[in-house]
Amino acid sequence: MSAPQSAKDFQSMAKARAIIKRLKAVKNIRKITRTMELIATARFKKAMDRAAEAKAYTQKIAEIVGDLAAAELSFTHPLLEQREQEERVLLLVLTSNRGLCGGYNSGVLRLADQRLKALSKGRINQILEVSGKRGLSYFKFEGQQIDATYTNFEDKPTFDEVEELGNRFAELYISGAVDRIEVVYSEFHSISRQVAVRETLLPIQNLSTPEAETDQKHAVDYEFLPNAEAILEEIVPAAFKAKLFKCFLDAAVSEQIARMVAMKGATENADEMIRSLSTRYNRARQSQITSELSEIIGGAAALE
Amino acid sequence: MIAANTVQLVVVTPEKTLLTQEATSLQFPLEDGQIGILPGRAPMVGRLGIGELVVINGSEKTSYFIDGGFVQVKGGAVTLLTNHAEPVINLKVKEIEAAFNEALERPATSATAQAAKQHDIERNRRLLAILNR
Repeated sequence: MSAPQSAKDFQSMAKARAIIKRLKAVKNIRKITRTMELIATARFKKAMDRAAEAKAYTQKIAEIVGDLAAAELSFTHPLLEQREQEERVLLLVLTSNRGLCGGYNSGVLRLADQRLKALSKGRINQILEVSGKRGLSYFKFEGQQIDATYTNFEDKPTFDEVEELGNRFAELYISGAVDRIEVVYSEFHSISRQVAVRETLLPIQNLSTPEAETDQKHAVDYEFLPNAEAILEEIVPAAFKAKLFKCFLDAAVSEQIARMVAMKGATENADEMIRSLSTRYNRARQSQITSELSEIIGGAAALE
Repeated sequence: MIAANTVQLVVVTPEKTLLTQEATSLQFPLEDGQIGILPGRAPMVGRLGIGELVVINGSEKTSYFIDGGFVQVKGGAVTLLTNHAEPVINLKVKEIEAAFNEALERPATSATAQAAKQHDIERNRRLLAILNR
């Protein structure tokens, strides 16, 4: 066998082997992405159930607010008061702790960034609070000053945790330390639609939801115990906390959906890659066999 | 229409709907004192206090511990919105005593911490009162 021929032989064998190596790597990646997709699907269902269960509370709160409004009471509460001059704005950004969830974090962070830029342009003091490791590392990279961080909110945010946060926000607002509190998170509309949004948490802008208002037509003459003011005093913070909780729940649901979709895409891409790589491997193998055969035939012909 | 002799009780917490059941009578604390509800109660909205919710359905009697919130009575439906609700059977005296002592000794530096401390003391004191009855 001549030298150049064996080199060629070696090359095509090495090529086939390299392809096998890649094929194995891609297959492993596919396994991981497929598992992550399944996990995200399971978590999404749980998060979705939680969000659905929490809805009952929010709806009832809105209903009672509607009842109070129907009784023609004037709503006055420190959390409802709009400040004339907004000097300090607190921005809470909800991101995920883990990556591999497509455009979920980037969408939220882009919106938060825009808002921060607008605030600095307007020379308004900003206080930035970030939940989730992804947001943290982003703002650290950007060189933004972060005033508070939370990494304890995973896919199952509990009301107790959120309540603590809500109490602190309410205190900050009432004491005048901040004039406005905003949250940037990914709002859940449907399985195929989640949008990064910025919402004002405090001051509370519209306490009653549209559904509650339609209810007022058949208003019931309620007795308020101990009195309407005491109920109002309690229900405003409750509504605020329920809203904050909803933001966290929405963010959790959206994160799982985003991960599910991203991992589904990744699995599909891996499948495609596996297909093209196996085709290439088969071709390489075939050409190797062909060249070996022709070598043998050539060698036999030379002997004749 | 025959006058209903039960009310439809729903207990909702921010995380989930804890309870949906019929009841012949209810007792629970409002902010300023105990209230009892029988079928046919006039509509009301009230602010809940901390204490025991007793649900009586025929001869069955179950009790829960509730911690603040609201109650809405409308027609035959009674809805309780509360931040925390737990069946009294699940509560352990030792744990509550520990929580009570922790709350008593907790240093409170700000107004909110002070309020939280007071709330925890009050809550655990009432829990102990229910359990040691």
